[in-house]
Amino acid sequence: MHRIMLTSLTLLVSSRALAAQQPSAPAAARPAAPHDSVRGAVRAVDLRARTLEVTTGVGFALRVVKLQVPADVPITDRQVGQRGTLRLAELKPGDVVRATFGGRQTGFVAYVIERVGRMDRGVEATP
Amino acid sequence: MTRWVMAILAVCAATATACQRPPKPGEPLRGLSAAERARFDSGKAAFDSVFTPETGLGPLFNANGCAECHEDPAAGGTGDEVERHATAFHTVAPPGSRQCDELAAQGGFVYQNHVTPALHAALGIDSEPVPAAATALAHRTTPEIFGVGLLDAVPDSEILAYADSADADHDGISGRPNRFFDGRLGRFGRKALVPTLLEFNEGALSAEQGVTTPAVPTEETVAGTPVPAGTDPAADPELSAARAELLTTFVRLLAPPAPLKMSREAQQGREVFGRIGCARCHRPSFTTALSTVAAINRKTVDAYTDLLLHDMGPDLGDICLALATPTEFRTEPLMGLHLKKVFLHDGRATTIEQAVDLHGGEATTARDLFRALPPTDRAALLAFLKSL
Repeated sequence: MHRIMLTSLTLLVSSRALAAQQPSAPAAARPAAPHDSVRGAVRAVDLRARTLEVTTGVGFALRVVKLQVPADVPITDRQVGQRGTLRLAELKPGDVVRATFGGRQTGFVAYVIERVGRMDRGVEATP
Repeated sequence: MTRWVMAILAVCAATATACQRPPKPGEPLRGLSAAERARFDSGKAAFDSVFTPETGLGPLFNANGCAECHEDPAAGGTGDEVERHATAFHTVAPPGSRQCDELAAQGGFVYQNHVTPALHAALGIDSEPVPAAATALAHRTTPEIFGVGLLDAVPDSEILAYADSADADHDGISGRPNRFFDGRLGRFGRKALVPTLLEFNEGALSAEQGVTTPAVPTEETVAGTPVPAGTDPAADPELSAARAELLTTFVRLLAPPAPLKMSREAQQGREVFGRIGCARCHRPSFTTALSTVAAINRKTVDAYTDLLLHDMGPDLGDICLALATPTEFRTEPLMGLHLKKVFLHDGRATTIEQAVDLHGGEATTARDLFRALPPTDRAALLAFLKSL
């Protein structure tokens, strides 16, 4: 039962992220929800453009969500709690992150980013 | 004689389950309740559904229904379709990026072989183009999915107990887990990418049939570009979560293929299988976790896999996927081997002997021992494998 609940929660997060992806789609086609969330692996970090690309998806259906990360967006590390504030440059490809974000004319903008672990070390299924 | 028959019938009546004939391919696990059996039957109807563009097919797709590929010898079996996967692997990770790029931003890693007439009319393509960024193109045959519900129920801890990433025991075998992008343990797919059966099916509905669900509510892109307006007539999601779950129930409750009756030679071959090291990766069995479904609860599944990644050598290598490098593959389950007509992930081997002979990497020692076997041991090993 616990396993089913965890799977359901993970799918919920994934499906919302999938609904929000497709960065090249016209802005009008984006969901009207004020914010969404994604959990996945950091694919790429562009410090100059302050963007973060996160690979996510369900099974073989993979998607990439590209987020703008303004300088004031809090980035935390689950291992050390809220005190462990990170700089964007400290996020590395392969980090597993959870992010909330909203849609803007310019694309998706992150509100909060939390590093929850590393892909290669494994992460508990708890969202 | 009559007394013997009477005695056997009496024993059968007392232990009905033990005397049941083993399930045939496509039949459900033994011991389902009436309600579970009803859901299995309803799920099969969902599995057998054929989609059209108006009901959700495409615009990009590999098949118009699950049963188009998983058809031989019954629903849940294999088929002759071969699909294309492509990724980009960098020996040294580009700055700010991972070594493996699944090309997910460019339509990857599954590149569909077919398009609907509307997409063909709009773009003039017959299949999804593989982007130039790809460093490898892989071919994948259709795996049988009999018994995968039992593999879904194996606890992570059982799989991880076999992992030996650094080869600490120095036996040359270093199985390691693959992980999905959220860090959970993977187990399904030739590279062990997908954590659960439900996710595998929901992902397949999108990647194989172009059918959206609440879990995957957006269409596949054409190498990264959204499908043109007017080419996807069905409203999203094209299949309900309940229908996807029903379909998964059918797959979850499919019985594993019953092994054939082992001859004396095959029994000797089982000993050879262990002696030359095959069983170090092809672990004979797992035990499932507690389940509310009695037919899955705490069952032994003779899958002959460890569900871990192993380096199989450069000759077999193709794409990367999450943590899996191009040469790493999940140990292929051997249950149902007697039903297979082609072997290895891309079907390049047409006999079991060829398949063993093509093993490399961590399996080199076992392969070389196989090659050096005396004819009687070799024949025994093959008899054993053909009985699985």
